[in-house]
Amino acid sequence: MTASVISAESIPGTGRAAQGAIELRQVSKHYGDVVAVDELDLTVQPGEFVTLLGPSGSGKTTTMMMVAGFEEHTAGTVLIDGRPVDSLPPRDRNLGVVFQNYALFPHMSALENVEFALRMRKVPRAERRQRAEEALGRVGLGKMGGRKPRQLSGGQQQRVALARALVFNPAALLLDEPMAALDKRLREQMQEEIKTLQKSLGISVLFVTHDQDEAMAMSDRIVVMRDGKIVQSGPPEEVYNHPMTDWVASFLGDTNLIPCTIVERNGEEAVVDLGGLGLAKVRDRGASGESYAVSIRPEHLKFRTRASAGNGCAATLVSSTNLGATVRHRLTAGGHELQLRELSSDRGTRILPDEELWVGWDADKAQLLVLES
Amino acid sequence: MSNATLERTRPRGRGAPPSADAPRRRRSGWWLLLAPILAFDVVLFLTPLGKLVGASFADNAYQRVLEDPLVVRALVNTLTISLASTVVTVVLGYIIAMVLWRAGTVTRVILFAVVLLPFWTGILVKNFAWAVLLQDNGMVNAFLQGIGLTGAPIPLLHNRFAVIVGMVHCLLPYAVFPIFSSLASIDDRLGLAARSLGAREGAVFRRITLPLSMPGISAAGLLVFIISTGFFITPVVMGGPGDMMIANQIDYYARQLTDFSGAAALAVILTVMVSILVAVYQRVLKAGGQHEDN
Amino acid sequence: MKTTNPQHRLLALLSIPAFLFLVIPTAIVVPVALNDSRYITFPPEGISFAAVAGFFADRAWTSALTASLQSAAIAVVIGVLLGATAAIGLHGRKFPGQPAVVGLILAPMIVPTVVLALAFYQFFISIGMVGSIVPIGLAHAVIATPYVYLTTRASLAGLNPALVRSAQSLGAGPLSVLRHVYLPIILPGLISGALFAFSVSIDETVMSLFMQSPGATTLPVKMFTDIQFNLTPKIAVSSALLVSVATIGLLLQVLFVLKRRSSTRMLPLAVSAQT
Repeated sequence: MTASVISAESIPGTGRAAQGAIELRQVSKHYGDVVAVDELDLTVQPGEFVTLLGPSGSGKTTTMMMVAGFEEHTAGTVLIDGRPVDSLPPRDRNLGVVFQNYALFPHMSALENVEFALRMRKVPRAERRQRAEEALGRVGLGKMGGRKPRQLSGGQQQRVALARALVFNPAALLLDEPMAALDKRLREQMQEEIKTLQKSLGISVLFVTHDQDEAMAMSDRIVVMRDGKIVQSGPPEEVYNHPMTDWVASFLGDTNLIPCTIVERNGEEAVVDLGGLGLAKVRDRGASGESYAVSIRPEHLKFRTRASAGNGCAATLVSSTNLGATVRHRLTAGGHELQLRELSSDRGTRILPDEELWVGWDADKAQLLVLES
Repeated sequence: MSNATLERTRPRGRGAPPSADAPRRRRSGWWLLLAPILAFDVVLFLTPLGKLVGASFADNAYQRVLEDPLVVRALVNTLTISLASTVVTVVLGYIIAMVLWRAGTVTRVILFAVVLLPFWTGILVKNFAWAVLLQDNGMVNAFLQGIGLTGAPIPLLHNRFAVIVGMVHCLLPYAVFPIFSSLASIDDRLGLAARSLGAREGAVFRRITLPLSMPGISAAGLLVFIISTGFFITPVVMGGPGDMMIANQIDYYARQLTDFSGAAALAVILTVMVSILVAVYQRVLKAGGQHEDN
Repeated sequence: MKTTNPQHRLLALLSIPAFLFLVIPTAIVVPVALNDSRYITFPPEGISFAAVAGFFADRAWTSALTASLQSAAIAVVIGVLLGATAAIGLHGRKFPGQPAVVGLILAPMIVPTVVLALAFYQFFISIGMVGSIVPIGLAHAVIATPYVYLTTRASLAGLNPALVRSAQSLGAGPLSVLRHVYLPIILPGLISGALFAFSVSIDETVMSLFMQSPGATTLPVKMFTDIQFNLTPKIAVSSALLVSVATIGLLLQVLFVLKRRSSTRMLPLAVSAQT
């Protein structure tokens, strides 16, 4: 495998796909009595982009550090490419890591930074130089190789860090909050670039972030962590639209949580009693707990005419706030406070406070979940 | 010394209106607080030094002392002994600083105390202790004989080796602290990054830690060398007649030869040498500070 | 993220001789002083306070101890007064010539002690001030003052000058501003500076040696003179006394640091070394 990273797209999918899977089996990390990571099972399929999403202290960074080999796990097994790596030091795990704030070597030029891994692998000088230059070219920094990290912008440093982590054809890429230091616009641009790069290389990525928008934008699968455990895992839309618990629903964005009691459950659907809002048909994932609620995202609530079919109720407008692209309406309905968000462009006639309205939602956009808190 | 540049200024008028404030402060006569120290330093620091410089220009003193073979010898001794002490001190200091850097909080405080103990102890006490250890029937000779390295006591005291040992012991704290602070400013993740890129511990040290702590090493080296050049007690207590340094020569001119102008000329030469080194030292500190920003 | 690996064990192993090198000389001083023998040996042959008793029975040594304490007292009092007033006077102010003033205050730290010793020697002879402990104490004050200035300045770093102005606007006179605003804040710095000043003076040898006279021979000077002839038990006792003082100073400093939770305060303040 002397071919550079850059030409990875020419490698047939299957050849590449055999590599890159990360697997954690019942992995735990204890610090004394504190359990940082609790019997975690996690698989990153070849070519898959998996995000560990959670608040600080949820164990996501610890998990990544155990995969990289910087932290020893207390129990369980970590496999890379189906091979247990528990006793391997970081240098032998063949994983590219991009750190928070990039951890570029300040005394080396961008090119020397990228060359570092090849130097450590005793790649001959000429080849080393060529591959490093190609890798820098791939991230659009072909002419910046001579600059020191401090002479590069945040986005450029990020790209050098990526090139450095990819130049030695690692089995997978680990990204630890790599965009935390960038401003919003640059962050969005880098999200797209990283995603494009990952797709073209077909490389597996384990990504750690606490930013739900970033997770939504980039991931094939989101793994939501809390207190060292996985609370939900699935494709971004599924986790967003169909959270299993109120905590997941709130962590991933604004939502309307309406407490309810279950009237009838049959497979994917359930009928619930929403108190003042009456009976409604909602999506059910079979989660069970002591008390339940229904989560409806603000953008899934719609102004309706009373006549139209489906779930709905009478509501009174309290206030409207223009947020630019969207308008947020605060409503009360059946003794509950609700939020409704619509695109500014969809905003029909101006509604006045105290005016009575009818709001409704599609049954598959209302999710039955377990109330944890 | 370098702290002089760190004098802080604060935005005025936070709290009270500045217009009412300024005249009040002027009237308060805060400069009266500076008067005592300025008067004291002018009378008891600048005046004696000024007289010293004045005396050094009498009787063709500079030419006379520089033609004295004893002085030339002392200058050569000063340079070689200082250089040797500096190299040993920086190497030992680096090892100690690395341990402090890697240690946990509690261990670190204890080891800091160990490093600071010689800093708080007077030089005569330290030199006396070394004389006890290094004398013919001292602990070091007993140890060497015990492990069969030598049959008879080796003369360890009253030679250049002893001078360097004594000086290094005094100088170590001055090397440990600058090196430690430059190590402490290295981002831990750089080491992790290097490991993830395939570096062994040796390569992490050689290619990351060592180059990034160079500012600390040069600051420590200069500081230690500056202090070394002024040593007076240790060459007398632990050295032989051939190990006298420039400070001893000043003493010799002043108190044995009662040649004040000669002594003054030597003192000025030493001060100028040290001042130049101090200026270089401050430049190194500044350059190091800039580097750490990144 | 600090894993134990062979390299760290190698480092620890390498550092043991370095730490022993630092500790052993200071550690043997007290046992040597309590040695039950007429010769200086280590390890001691038995414990005895004979040497200690001999030290305190010897007029030459006790008067040296007194002289040292007198010079330290002068140095601490002058150092604290001048260093503290200077730090307060310069706090939060910027004026033309200020760097020069700070430079002058700190300058005694970088001039080699032997140069100062010679300068003071000439100076005090020229004004006829010889034969007492006062000039030695004054000389010690010159090199001790910058330490007090630095420690006081460090403790003032967190004080907002606006606090002073608001105290003034509330009608506080200069003296009550000093007492109620500055004093509580600079107290730790003052104590630490006083310790430094005491330690600088009690250990200072070169200047005291140049300016010594029969009535004004300090402990280190007496030690320095005797040590060149023989290593005697009384030198050992004197060393043990000074080590005890150093240990107390160190413990106070460590406590101070632990309280402040800042290891930078442990950094030696300056270039000046008692060489």
